[in-house]
Order: sequence, then structure tokens, then C-alpha cells
Amino acid sequence: MNAILKTEDLKMVYRVGKVDVNALRGVNLSIAPGEFVAVMGPSGCGKSTLLHILGGLLKPSSGRVMVDGEDLAAMSDAARTDLRRRKIGFVFQRFNLFPTLTAEGNLKLAERIHANGKSGLDATARQEILRLLRLENKMRHKPLEMSGGEQQRVAIARAIINRPSIILADEPTGNLDTENSTIVLDMLRELNQEFRQTIVMITHNPEAAAVASRIIEMRDGAIVKER
Amino acid sequence: MDNLVLSNIRQRPTRTLISTAGVALGVILIILNTGLARGMLNDRIRREQGVGAEIQFLRIGAQTFSTSNFMPLDVRYADRLKKIPGVRTVSPFGHYLQSGNSGLGFEMVDAVELDTYSAISNLRIVDGRAFQADDEVIIDEFKAQHGNIGVGDEIQVFGNKMKVVGIYSPQIGSRIKMSLGALQRALSQENKCLGILVKVDEGAAPEEVARRIDAELPGNKVVLTQDIGMNFGGQIPGIQGFIRAVMGLSMVVSSLVILLAMYTTITERTREIGILKSLGASKTYIIGVIEKEAVAISAIGVVAGLALALIAAFGIERATSLRLEFHWTWILAATLIGLGAGVIGALYPAVRAANQDAVKALSYE
Repeated sequence: MNAILKTEDLKMVYRVGKVDVNALRGVNLSIAPGEFVAVMGPSGCGKSTLLHILGGLLKPSSGRVMVDGEDLAAMSDAARTDLRRRKIGFVFQRFNLFPTLTAEGNLKLAERIHANGKSGLDATARQEILRLLRLENKMRHKPLEMSGGEQQRVAIARAIINRPSIILADEPTGNLDTENSTIVLDMLRELNQEFRQTIVMITHNPEAAAVASRIIEMRDGAIVKER
Repeated sequence: MDNLVLSNIRQRPTRTLISTAGVALGVILIILNTGLARGMLNDRIRREQGVGAEIQFLRIGAQTFSTSNFMPLDVRYADRLKKIPGVRTVSPFGHYLQSGNSGLGFEMVDAVELDTYSAISNLRIVDGRAFQADDEVIIDEFKAQHGNIGVGDEIQVFGNKMKVVGIYSPQIGSRIKMSLGALQRALSQENKCLGILVKVDEGAAPEEVARRIDAELPGNKVVLTQDIGMNFGGQIPGIQGFIRAVMGLSMVVSSLVILLAMYTTITERTREIGILKSLGASKTYIIGVIEKEAVAISAIGVVAGLALALIAAFGIERATSLRLEFHWTWILAATLIGLGAGVIGALYPAVRAANQDAVKALSYE
């Protein structure tokens, strides 16, 4: 299989005071392009650490992390940032939108960062994503003027606006009610099918995990089950 | 609002206001201090040149705008000067420097022999009479009008009350004039003066007469009145150092205000820095965002500072006898210092923000 995301014997040790905490204990993982993978497990099992390493926000203590053929573990901080800019979109549980910007401002900011400060995407491409996420009428609203579901849809739009090959979602439905969770999950599945973007989603919720094509279960820093 | 820099400025009005005020304060300090120094000096130079004497004869080391009340020259030099070909009239003079009546700046009092001084300058009494006693002075029309002072009123000179006995015109030299003899007695410097004004014969070249004086009375200082304004910085001892100190102080004050404001802002916005990093923003980009914000705040501060300085200058000129003159070089310097303070003040918070750990920043509450 030609993997877009691959880890080999991935280990992460945090130093807390004088104690070493093993967050990841040799994770081996391979994800194909266009796959929708859910990662489940109890709190503290290493899910978020894995996601942060896959997104280049953290550097592992040892092991390899291949992202679309590039080894993240061997990269400098600046190179990992650049790779994240080019290939990865993040969706967070707490939406993490800029509260002072409108929905459109949040999207344009992501476009500008992706384009290295230059003007970003063309308006047609942006409109296509907004249509898909049913956000056309919310562009002038600031995050606090929108519901949680709408904010998360804007966050998803921001993650995919630059058409990254990989979407990393950290509990995207964790702050949403059932109705909005369903809407957001349907949209992620739709995006996965329409744009063939690889999605890795962390969740505690088995119903959310059920939309994925593969479910990975983690415990104590290791993958214990895949289905 | 889809611009992060502008939206942050608008979203935090108190922070923006305080930072703007800090930069504006620095700009006001520079503009007012340099404006005052320049205005007062130029006003003084214009009035000094208006006296009508082409040459000033001084002791080496003495200055027309001396801040010392010491009178180093013997008045008997006047008799020797009169004998030099080309010299028409001479008039010894002294100065007494005191703090301004408004409490701002300083005020100079001319001590003159009124008959010879009037012969050179065409000074005439327009109200009242000339001084006769040691506790009498005359003032010019500007001081009379501006200070609402009339003949018979008393003003402070040497810390004593002296009677205004006359008002004169035109506005030349200092705005208060007293008898040279009275100043000599008050300072216990009999037969002394600061310098001697020299009026040359009609048609005589002042430069040529000055050369003759220098040859006849070597070891003294012969100054052409037309050259007095040439050396702005050198006329008042320490003025350049003072202006540099004001500029440095302004830079430090503005930088510190911006540093504190941006440092606080960065701490408040730790999570937002984390979001920028998760979006792939480079360190340079993050530093750029913060620096742009600081420069925008500084630009507002500079504009506000310039506007407030102009309003303050208008108020000062109306309320006191002080004069302010602005020059584009100082306005440019104040602008650059204001903007520079923004860039420098924001640099440390910006670098600190750019170096934050992305995961920790994202989990910041």
C-alpha cells in the first residue's frame, strides 16, 4: 500500500518534573490516501499526542513519521511548519476560530498563510466549499454570533479551504449536541468522498467513529485493535 | 472585519488607547520641546537682529544668549571702539536671565544705556517715560498686551518688584529693559557689561569695520549680527544635548509602553498564536502580524501626538509669551521615533510569541 501517513516505532516520552511519561510506546500505523480513519481510546492513551505528531506540532522522541513521503521526525521546526502549511488541515474540539474575525476573515487568514502572505484562493473555489458546508449566509458573522455547529463548520471550511491532502480532526464533535454532531460528521464524510482527502479523526464517541472507514483503538500509548 | 491586525486593534480599545497614548506622549515631548527651543531661539534671534547694530563686541567666551549673568567686559572699551574708523555709535549692554513669569522657560532682561541704545535701534517710548531709577523698567508692546501690563504696574525682576514706567516700540532685544547702571549695582559689577553694540557708518561694510575692530582690539570676540542665527545649536549651551535627551527619553517611554501592551496582548492571545501555528504560520509570519499591529498602533499614536502637540502649541502661545516653531525635520524625527518605538517595543513579545510551543499554546485557557 502506498501510504500518505506512516509511522514506524513511534515513541514519545514527556518529562513531567523528574518523571518520564511514555505517551506513545512504539506506534506503527499506515494510512492510505483518501482513507477516513477514526482513532479511539480512553483519555491519556496517547491519541492527541499521535495526532499532534502526525500534524508536525510535536516532534517525536524516536521513530519515523512519513507524511506524503517526507519524514517529519527528521525535520526542523520550520520545515514541519511549512509541511503543515502545505499539506495538513486541523479541526479542533473547541473550534479555535479567531473571535475577532468574521467567518470569511477566518477563511481568508488560512488562505493567506497557505499562500505565504499573498492573496489566497480564488472566490469560486471558496464559494464551492461554502456551498458544500452550507455557510454562504454566515460569512459576515463572527464566531460568537454563530451556533456551535456553525462554528465547527467554519473550522472545517478553514481546514479544507486550501485543499490539504490530510485533515486531522481532534474530537470535532466533542462540543456539539447530537444534531450538530451528525451534521458535522456527515460533512466530513462528504468531504472525504468528494475531495478524496485523508481524514484522521480522534473521538471518544463510537457513533462518530462509525462514519470512518477504519477504526483504530489505542490504550497506554499503543495501538491495541484495528477494525 | 477580515484583517487580523485591524480586528485586534478594534477589538481591544483600552489596550489600543493606552498604547496610542504612550506613543503620542513621546511625539508630543519631541515636538513641543524642539518647537519651544527653536521658537524661542528664533524669536530671540529676530529681535536681536532687529536692534540695528551690525556688530557685537564681546569678550572671548562670552555669548549673546549667555545663561550666565556675569558681565566680563569693561565699559571703557566703548570709548576705544568709537575711535575706530567706520564706527558710528556704540552702546554697552548687559543681560539678566530669570525664570519666566508663567513658570515656563526663562526670560531675559536687557540692561542698556537708553540714549545710545535708542540711537542705534530707533527705540521709542510709546506710553509713559524712560526708566530713571534703579527699580524702574520699560517693556515692549507685546509684553504689555500679552501680560495685560500697563504703565504704573509692577513686575518681578531679580525676584523684586520693579515698576513699569514706559512701553516701547518696536519689539527688539529682550521684552524688558532696565538701566545698565542699575544692573551693574544690583550684581556688584561696576563699570562692566556683557558686550557692546556697534552701529557702523552709513555705507561702511560691517565686515571691514569688524576686521578693523579685531585688529585694533585683539583678543576679543567680534560678531556680525547677521551671523547670530547661523548656528542654531551653538547659541544656547547644551541645547543639542537637551534635545537628544528628550528624543531618547521619548523613544524609551514609547517603546516601554508598546512592549508592555504587546506583551500583555501576546499572553492574552496565546491560544491564537497556537491556532496560527496549527494553520502553518511561520515564525516570520507571526512576528510580522504582531509587528504590523504595533506599527499600526504607533502610527495612530504619531498622528494623535502631532495633532495634540499642535493644539498644545496653540494653547501655550495664547497663554504665555513663549513662542513655538515647528520644522519638518523634527516632525519627521518624531514620526520615525514613534514608529521605531513600536517596532522595537513589539520585537521581544513578537519573538516570544513565535517561539511558543504550538501544543501548549493551543491548550492555553
